Amino acid sequence: MDADLVPAASAETTPPRRPPSGAWRQSWHRFRRNRAGMIGLFLVVLVVLTAIIGPFAAPYDPNDNSAMLRGAANAAPSARNWLGTDRNGYDVLSRAIYGAPTALAVGLGAMLIASLIGVLVGGVAGYIGGFTDEALMRGAEFFMIVPVFVVILAVVRLFGIIVVGTALERIPNLNLMTIILLLGLFSWPQIARMTRAEFLRLRHAEFVEAARCIGTTRREILFRHILPNALPPLIVLVALGIGGAILAEAMVSFLGFGDPKSISWGQMLFFNYQALKVAPWACLVPGAAIFITVLGFNLLADGLTDAFNPRLRA
Amino acid sequence: MGALRFILRRLAFSVALILGVSFILFALINAIGNPIQILLAETPGVSEDMIAALSKFYGVDGNFIDRYLSWLWAVVRFDFGTSIVYNQPVGDLLWVYGLETFKIQLPAILLSTLVATAAGVIAAMRQHGWADFSIVSSAMLGHSLPGFLVGILLILIFSYWLGILPSYGAYSTRNLLMGSVVVDGLWHMVLPVAMLTVFNTATLTLLMRSSLVDVLRQDYITAAWASGLPARRVVLHHALRNAFIPQLTYLGTLFGLMLGTAPVTETVFTWPGLGALYIAAIQQLDYPVIMGETMIITVMLVLATLLTDIAYVAIDPRIRLA
Amino acid sequence: MAGQLAPLLAVEGLKVHFHTRDGVVRAVDGVDFQVAPGQTLGIVGESGSGKTVSSLALLRLAPPPARIVAGRVLFEGEDLLRQSDKRLAQIRGRRMAMIFQNPATSLNPILSIGQQLTEILRWHTGVSRQAALDRAAELLALVGISDPAARLRQYPHELSGGMKQRVGIARALLCEPALLLADEPTTALDVTIQAQILDLLAELRQRLAMSMVLVTHDMGVVARMADRITVMYAGRVCETADAATIFNAPQHPYTRALLQSMPRIDHSYSGARRVLPSIAGRPPDLLHAPPGCRFHDRCPEAAPECRRVMPREHLLAPGHSVSCLRRGSPGEDAP
Repeated sequence: MDADLVPAASAETTPPRRPPSGAWRQSWHRFRRNRAGMIGLFLVVLVVLTAIIGPFAAPYDPNDNSAMLRGAANAAPSARNWLGTDRNGYDVLSRAIYGAPTALAVGLGAMLIASLIGVLVGGVAGYIGGFTDEALMRGAEFFMIVPVFVVILAVVRLFGIIVVGTALERIPNLNLMTIILLLGLFSWPQIARMTRAEFLRLRHAEFVEAARCIGTTRREILFRHILPNALPPLIVLVALGIGGAILAEAMVSFLGFGDPKSISWGQMLFFNYQALKVAPWACLVPGAAIFITVLGFNLLADGLTDAFNPRLRA
Repeated sequence: MGALRFILRRLAFSVALILGVSFILFALINAIGNPIQILLAETPGVSEDMIAALSKFYGVDGNFIDRYLSWLWAVVRFDFGTSIVYNQPVGDLLWVYGLETFKIQLPAILLSTLVATAAGVIAAMRQHGWADFSIVSSAMLGHSLPGFLVGILLILIFSYWLGILPSYGAYSTRNLLMGSVVVDGLWHMVLPVAMLTVFNTATLTLLMRSSLVDVLRQDYITAAWASGLPARRVVLHHALRNAFIPQLTYLGTLFGLMLGTAPVTETVFTWPGLGALYIAAIQQLDYPVIMGETMIITVMLVLATLLTDIAYVAIDPRIRLA
Repeated sequence: MAGQLAPLLAVEGLKVHFHTRDGVVRAVDGVDFQVAPGQTLGIVGESGSGKTVSSLALLRLAPPPARIVAGRVLFEGEDLLRQSDKRLAQIRGRRMAMIFQNPATSLNPILSIGQQLTEILRWHTGVSRQAALDRAAELLALVGISDPAARLRQYPHELSGGMKQRVGIARALLCEPALLLADEPTTALDVTIQAQILDLLAELRQRLAMSMVLVTHDMGVVARMADRITVMYAGRVCETADAATIFNAPQHPYTRALLQSMPRIDHSYSGARRVLPSIAGRPPDLLHAPPGCRFHDRCPEAAPECRRVMPREHLLAPGHSVSCLRRGSPGEDAP
């Protein structure tokens, strides 16, 4: 600074300055201070751990219905079955634990598909522009206005029928995979829109122009300048989307259109809804599991939004 | 003039969209093959001729394009065909069941908008205070709660535990409450409407608050304060009007979401609405109903989007005069 | 201090602090100034000097997390900081009015000009809608807008920047206030329009015998418009004097440095004086404000005590006050 003026003063009055950290490190620091975001992260980590470790630690095999043979189906929570048993005598806690990996598979799978399609479509539309852009965006709008849920039900059912008697039928969890695929197919428009908006914005950004001036190639500009800037909103949309996909699959299963062979929270609800009065825990537990998961992802997304855009929280 | 052209373009796009959806659905259903065939294939005593005759009656014979076009032509004249399962005109079914669905969805949207606006205003005005914190926290929770869980909890608490509200159906099967259809109907509506309202209110509150916070930061609001206008006027007349504009799009989306997840809502409460009809139709391959109902729902969603676009133009002079 | 007349506005010891997550930013930390009736006070300073916050604080318009923690704002016999919201609403727009920096954002985009103007008139004076429209048209004409009746029906986005600013001025003058606060009124405008607006303001204050507080970073603007000038730096007042004195015989080191750094058309910057003089260093971080004079680390005349002791404003000559230990100001804690 002004070494020639009052050197002693500067050293005492100004605190030692660290070199400014990169944008990602800064965002992480901001995120850490956001209480809601940290709670969300905690919940998500909890679910992930349950999915990974849970199956090894679950008290019972999820398909163990020996309780029914003992006449202990629909039993209230006890020392033997911490969260009770359900209509078929399954241990609710174990099934809930096994539901976690299914849920995460659904969420991540759907959002992976959605992201791949969305980033590709949005990027192309934003970068190339013109007619391609118009056409792609109309396509995106189509997918957004169509009544997604209703159509998914129809397609799952119809696809299930078409597949009967064909070779496809023997693929395990085909039904679940169909659901994941459909969820992904209906989730890409939002991502595409966002990617396109970011590309448009950044394409004309001054720093991109500057990069071009010094001779950076188009590919370098794309990968080193534009994509990293478009990443934060993508992460937020993905976080929200995972929660949404898990919820959607739960709803589809709850209505009976899910995969009966997979263990999912929605399936648990479907099986046990009739016995709601008798064994409410069998429905409340999977319901609560879905709630915690969705809440976790929503809070995480919220925290990330704040961390990436430090507006003055006046 | 620019606004009119904008609306016409949206209209044209909407029509194209509806046609597209109908075509895709028709194609999918066509891929299954003849539903009559599937339903009756194993039934003893049913001859090929009977199947052929029924197929003709229900319009499921003939080649794909012919069938699609004749179906389309009928639909344009509001003839959706006859339900294979119920043996009634699909249009009648849609009307009856549709009314039940709107009976719970419209009050839910109205109630949510009112409550969310009030909550959003309070939260934005008392930002960072205790009221803001509790409103935002409750809204975050309500927004993440799955609808069916809310419904289940409501049933557990109010029907099973307290026993004061019914848990299924639109009307009591015997002994209407207070002997009146209207009162009995309203009594049955309470829980389903409550379930729908929770999510809507929560989401709208969060959006309204954030929108209002942004608007309140603007210079023209400071200018309004500086002109000595009272708080009521600044917030309601200046801020809220501006903050509400982005909510309009969301209301359209919300309506679509509610309608789209009607199957879930109506399954939880065994409510005889479009959702329940749809599930039954899919499971029993009642394809006229499937087609008809998907079309109607799509049309309603498209209309909702169109209406919000029109509302945008009407409210924001910047768009209107562009 | 400002003269024989009692001041219209007297600000004493104003402190506005921002309570942020990272700490307290002392944006305005003990500021005094006065405006006499019919006088124009220019408040100058760089960005971050606290001049805008000070002007907003007069009408209690500083948005949270800002909080007015100390001081008095005496206006027409009342301390505005101690009045009820109701009383304040009666003064705002009627006795003291404000015009804003960015004309594009200071008008509500979804209401017509007429609606915005008449609303204020009707609230303060209760006249009929037609009477309010007439008065609004009158004022639009006064600020030099052609075809006022048509303008009243238009929306802000249909007007140019200069016209919007004129509307902003008209809005402020609706109830003939005694004091006009102008926060950087010309900064967001083209240079040619700037001149027009300044001319307009000069003419209006003459015509309406209005006092004005003009907040700006542009020395050229104050040279033209201000009777007296207050120079602010990092939330404190450095020097206050009438315009001629400030320009011709500035006393505070900051004022001097500021004037020196202004490019002058009558100076040559080639040859020996090739470099445009500037003030070395950067304004202090107000989150961790130094205990002594805020300018000490950039001051060419700083003494060791300047780092420890905050100077208090003292009268150097009639109508000329300075806040600098090196000019004889006492320390803050001194009696």
